[in-house]
Amino acid sequence: MRAIISILCVFISGVIYAQNPAPADTATKRILLLGGYAHLGNGKVIPQSAIGIANGKITFVMDGKNFKPSRLAFDTIIDVYGKQVYPGLIAMNTSLGLSEIEAVRATNDYNETGSLNASARSIIAYNTDSKVTPTVRSNGILLAQITPRGGLVSGQSSVVELDGWNYEDAAYKMDEGVWLNFPSLQTVKAWWVDSEDDQKKRSEKQMADLSELFYEAQSYAAGNNAVYNPNFEAMKGLFTKTKTLYVRCNYVKDILAAIAFGNKFKVRMVLVGARDGWMVTKEIKENNIPVIIMRTHVLPERDDDDIDLPFKLPVLLAKEGIDVAITDDGFWQDRNVPFQAGETVGYGMDKEDALKAITLTPARILGIDASVGSLETGKDATIIVSSGDILDMKSSDVQMAYIRGKEISLDNVQKQLYRKYMKKYGLKDAE
Amino acid sequence: MKKILTLLFTVNLAVSSLFAQSTSPVQALSNEKENTFVFTHATIWQDPSTRLTDATLVVKKNKIVAVGAGVSIPPGAIIIDLKGKNVYPAFIDLFTGYGQPEIKKSGNDNRGPQFNTNTKGAYSWNQALKPEYNAASNFVIDDKKAGEYRRNGFGSVLSIQRDGIARGTAAMVTLTDQSEGDAILKANAAATYSFRKGSSTQDYPSSLMGTIALLRQTYIDAEWYRTSTAKDFNISLENWNANSKLPQIFEVDNYKSALRADKVGDEFNVKYIIKGGGDEYKRLDEIAKTGDAFIIPLNFPDAYDVSNPFDAMNISLAEMKNWELAPYNTSMLSKAGVQFCITSAGLKEPKSFLKNLQKAVTCGLSKENALKALTTTPAQLMNVADQTGKIMPGMLANFFVSTNDIFEKDAVITDTWIEGKQFDVNVQDSTDIRGKYTLVLDTLKGYTLQLGGKAINPECTLLKDTLKIKADYDKDVYQFTIKIEPVKGKGIYRLNGQYNSEARRLFGNAQTPDGSWVNWTADYKENWEEKKDTSKKNDVVTAPGKIWYPLNAYGFDTLPTAKNVLIKNATVWTNEDAGILSETDVLISNGKIIKVGKGINLAIFKISDVEIIDGTGKHITAGIIDEHSHIAINEGVNEGTQSVTSEVRIGDVLNPDDVNIYRQLAGGVTTSHLLHGSANAIGGQTALIKLRWGKSGEQLKFENADGFIKFALGENVKQSNWGDNNTTRYPQTRMGVEQVYMDAFTRAKNYDMARKNAASSKTSVMPRRDLELDALAEIINKKRFITCHSYEQSEINMLMHVADSFGFRVNTFTHILEGYKVADKMKAHGVGASTFSDWWAYKYEVMEAIPYNGKIMHDMGLVTAFNSDDAEMARRLNQEAAKAVKYGHISEEEALKFVTLNPAKLLHIDNRVGSIKEGKDADIVVWNDNPLSVYAKPLKTFVDGICYFDIDRDKQIRERDKIERARLIKKMMDEKSSGGSVQKATLTIDELYHCNDNEKSPR
Repeated sequence: MRAIISILCVFISGVIYAQNPAPADTATKRILLLGGYAHLGNGKVIPQSAIGIANGKITFVMDGKNFKPSRLAFDTIIDVYGKQVYPGLIAMNTSLGLSEIEAVRATNDYNETGSLNASARSIIAYNTDSKVTPTVRSNGILLAQITPRGGLVSGQSSVVELDGWNYEDAAYKMDEGVWLNFPSLQTVKAWWVDSEDDQKKRSEKQMADLSELFYEAQSYAAGNNAVYNPNFEAMKGLFTKTKTLYVRCNYVKDILAAIAFGNKFKVRMVLVGARDGWMVTKEIKENNIPVIIMRTHVLPERDDDDIDLPFKLPVLLAKEGIDVAITDDGFWQDRNVPFQAGETVGYGMDKEDALKAITLTPARILGIDASVGSLETGKDATIIVSSGDILDMKSSDVQMAYIRGKEISLDNVQKQLYRKYMKKYGLKDAE
Repeated sequence: MKKILTLLFTVNLAVSSLFAQSTSPVQALSNEKENTFVFTHATIWQDPSTRLTDATLVVKKNKIVAVGAGVSIPPGAIIIDLKGKNVYPAFIDLFTGYGQPEIKKSGNDNRGPQFNTNTKGAYSWNQALKPEYNAASNFVIDDKKAGEYRRNGFGSVLSIQRDGIARGTAAMVTLTDQSEGDAILKANAAATYSFRKGSSTQDYPSSLMGTIALLRQTYIDAEWYRTSTAKDFNISLENWNANSKLPQIFEVDNYKSALRADKVGDEFNVKYIIKGGGDEYKRLDEIAKTGDAFIIPLNFPDAYDVSNPFDAMNISLAEMKNWELAPYNTSMLSKAGVQFCITSAGLKEPKSFLKNLQKAVTCGLSKENALKALTTTPAQLMNVADQTGKIMPGMLANFFVSTNDIFEKDAVITDTWIEGKQFDVNVQDSTDIRGKYTLVLDTLKGYTLQLGGKAINPECTLLKDTLKIKADYDKDVYQFTIKIEPVKGKGIYRLNGQYNSEARRLFGNAQTPDGSWVNWTADYKENWEEKKDTSKKNDVVTAPGKIWYPLNAYGFDTLPTAKNVLIKNATVWTNEDAGILSETDVLISNGKIIKVGKGINLAIFKISDVEIIDGTGKHITAGIIDEHSHIAINEGVNEGTQSVTSEVRIGDVLNPDDVNIYRQLAGGVTTSHLLHGSANAIGGQTALIKLRWGKSGEQLKFENADGFIKFALGENVKQSNWGDNNTTRYPQTRMGVEQVYMDAFTRAKNYDMARKNAASSKTSVMPRRDLELDALAEIINKKRFITCHSYEQSEINMLMHVADSFGFRVNTFTHILEGYKVADKMKAHGVGASTFSDWWAYKYEVMEAIPYNGKIMHDMGLVTAFNSDDAEMARRLNQEAAKAVKYGHISEEEALKFVTLNPAKLLHIDNRVGSIKEGKDADIVVWNDNPLSVYAKPLKTFVDGICYFDIDRDKQIRERDKIERARLIKKMMDEKSSGGSVQKATLTIDELYHCNDNEKSPR
């Protein structure tokens, strides 16, 4: 009954229209989630689990079949029997909070002018009041890597929790990586693009600029820093491996060039996109480079490609032992991240591995796996509960969410509009 | 020696062969001549089917006077012995820009739109229509260019100004250097057209479908102009009509556009001569069915440089197979009975013409048909067969001489004669001096001079016993140079020599290494023996790969046919009252669903050859129908240059080769509604297709379906996100959008009334037929139906009011993201809805879009569908339907209807498709799982009972493609290593459209 009460509260809390729900209060309650089918995020499951939460942390995760909870040990015991329990999902490579309306320039803050922008920090532009964020959160995404785009070196990403009054509140790990759009060696033919020669010249120039930047930044990091340089400052962490270099590239030759580039400067590198990655799994694996797949829901790059190549790409990489995260490439679209992962199951990915690609693997890539990414004792109580399989749109229905033990509202402006018009027409929801 | 001299002298003796009497006064002294040339002992190809050996040809002035064996030689004639040589009628090229001025863009410097023509005067409203252009008036001899043609054997060409959609007349000219008047055989030989705007800077038309609409409207306008009395003078239409009596030449780029041009021609009773793209072999049946004559280029693609395996990935099978098969095009056309000419157009270098012609012959084109395509056929088509094309008395003396059979490798044209005048003599090639000669020079003993290699440019070697010393040999006029070094390091002999052909002797003067002068001779000893080069296998023609339909990866080598299939014991989502039936059988036959039920007894149905599929654990649904798609469209999805373009039709520009058809079959889609984009308030007419992969564009069309048209509202229409250069096209606000509709429908209503009145009374004048207003009148008359791109509630309301005021109903609002706000009004109006499941936030007008929209509209009683507008999403619309379950808690049964039965209803085809019902089309999908699940995959997709996608066959096709790629890659590598030219293996990006894509089509 308590469970039901709390679910209803969540649903009704947004009484004021067209407003985001207020951030949750600090977690003080000791909570027990009892009986749920726990998907731990590390590949394991506990069909009937007991998960304890206190002080925002997971105090235990265990088999709940014969668990007899002491009433005194918990402020709230929530019966989630028959429901699915997951770690909060993590969306990578997103401009959530940096963009509100794609077509309206004034709302876009992810693409700084110029091409070498290592110093730009996404976190300070992150808008905690975006109307989009709660719509993503209500599908179970609780953490996101807020990522700049554009230029050659786009800037730095930060990880946030999708709840908070301001960016400092939301920040989970600041300035954790530098983003690079790797110059493409691949020239293309189409009537709307410039000549192949121009394309080649451009990418050669970009490659030269990039090498220069990295050599200079490396030298600066090594102590040649008498004159302050904001870009070099921002890149220092790359050479000490306290920051990650995220490299967006897709074509096979670009991937190989990017790997060589990363090795040359001895950085901790992550490939983003890597649509041709299946051709060079050996090189990726040998260099221990994780891959972030941007959308499985895309068309194959080439006419002759296997028609299901994007669906199975994560499988082709994962079976060679490569760490694969799956995400989207936008902001409002991130609410479909679980389905992007679910898509791979029909192509050979184990369901729990598909879940891992949107929980524990992203946490590892982001260097936050000590505290999030899986349901394990000692980690943050960043948890979602769904009535059905969260990877399948047919059954995904997130009913509860906790970020560090705080109960998170799953309301959003879209639900408010839904209620407003259901009421206008006198309609009733089926549930 | 004598022969060389004879030939050389003829150059000087050649006369100005006047065609007719000149009007120009004599300057200085008269120089009129009447030379007679006699060519003896030649092999003469009189016409494609007549070859004379040891024959004589007599030419007087500019004409042939006699040809044959035993022709008597007129006294005083200049005799040229052509023993061992071949004489052919000069070739005719019907597709050249020869002699026409350079085409310049008529500058539109301001970056904004250009609505009207820049051509001043009483000309067409559209700058790309120039029927008044007269090629003869602008023709100027260009002897350099003429030389390029002549050296390829051409004697006359059609001179076309290749600029614009209607290009005016073309002139038939010879390649003489005398005078323009002399050159022109027929001033108005043909009228020419294309689908390309050329130098026109006017915006309309920006798409291929717009171009087709413009052509159709102009045919209508010209006919109206011819018969109407109430009209303004129009130079363009005057000329259009005058040109209509000429042969009509239409330039296209590929076989699809050839079929499009033919269709336009059929509508207006015009038979085109189509200048094709060289890929007609891809759909030979349809091409042959047009009955049109073709002008075919020989610009075969170079092999791709596939040395690097990653680069090779950039080249599609479509490109590889076309590389292999393009040289077979003419041979296949010939076998299919298509009448065609050959053109040298499109070649990167003129010198590859003969090489490619010989290649076409190697690939199966008969020499006779090749000659026909270059002589008699073009002469007939241009009505100049009485003047040129054959070597016959009375015809122009246009012919060329070649060393050997022109269709054989290494054949060289030695000279070309135009109107009795010799041109472009290839002296150096005219005598074969190859052989072994005994050298007598200075004190040298026992040396043999060998001239080997090619007759055109022999290689010289000095031989002594087993020694082989390479020597230099260079030709000069009348003489040659040889450098030899008989003993290495002992100095070089430098020889100047001549050749006496009767004595077969080389002779001349030489300077010895010590600087003294000596005479030398070398008498013919024996034949030079060609080394058998075993490494070259070029002459061996291996059979090319099969033609697939389409000629892409995943194409069929044999098109699948409808089978009788019984799927047993499956879960059947009927979309009918029966709901979802478990353990049920479905029988299909003859393209229809015959029976749905448990334990179907085949004996009752008297159907033989039934394939039985075990459906245990599987799900069967009706095929998915995408109400809003933009796949399989060529060259522009928007004709966004005007606010009203109801005259354009997506059906004119279908692209059956789009691999997305196959990809979507693999996602269970069987029917797609292909829409015009949303760049303007009234867009184009839509096309409803079935995904019949492998069939031609016309065969994709859903038979007898109601016509629809795309409308659009909001930001795209008012150009909100088009940048600062697009702020002048009306409308720029939603206020203006309403006015565009009111104005357009008022015009259409008045037009329709006037046409109807005119039809029923004899007195009133029939207004000019207008394709734009025709389509709008059809809407008013409930013969055509609107699907309208829409977001915000205010304008949705507005359009319903516009429709009400003209007495019709809006059929469908597509996208309709704020439909939930006005669902009651929509219900009252009777309009359906086709929306996205969960899209939003991509522009201002979608900020109140909600994923519950479908649910509310459905619950309000609207026919509600989910559509894709996206080639990717379309292949998993089943998952989008599942989002109606997720967000709206709609039952799974009802949710599936969002992408099957409901779109069928919106498109008025629910009597044919959309549910599993006896008598309906067998457009069905067999799934491995609940079709709404992210884990589900189609195992088989049937359209009309034909299994176009089968997951097991798909595996085989991929394997076949892999093997075919490997074969072709090897073949291209061989081509490269044997010295063939190659091109870079670059990735070509496809056209992929969404409805707000407003790019201009390629120029």
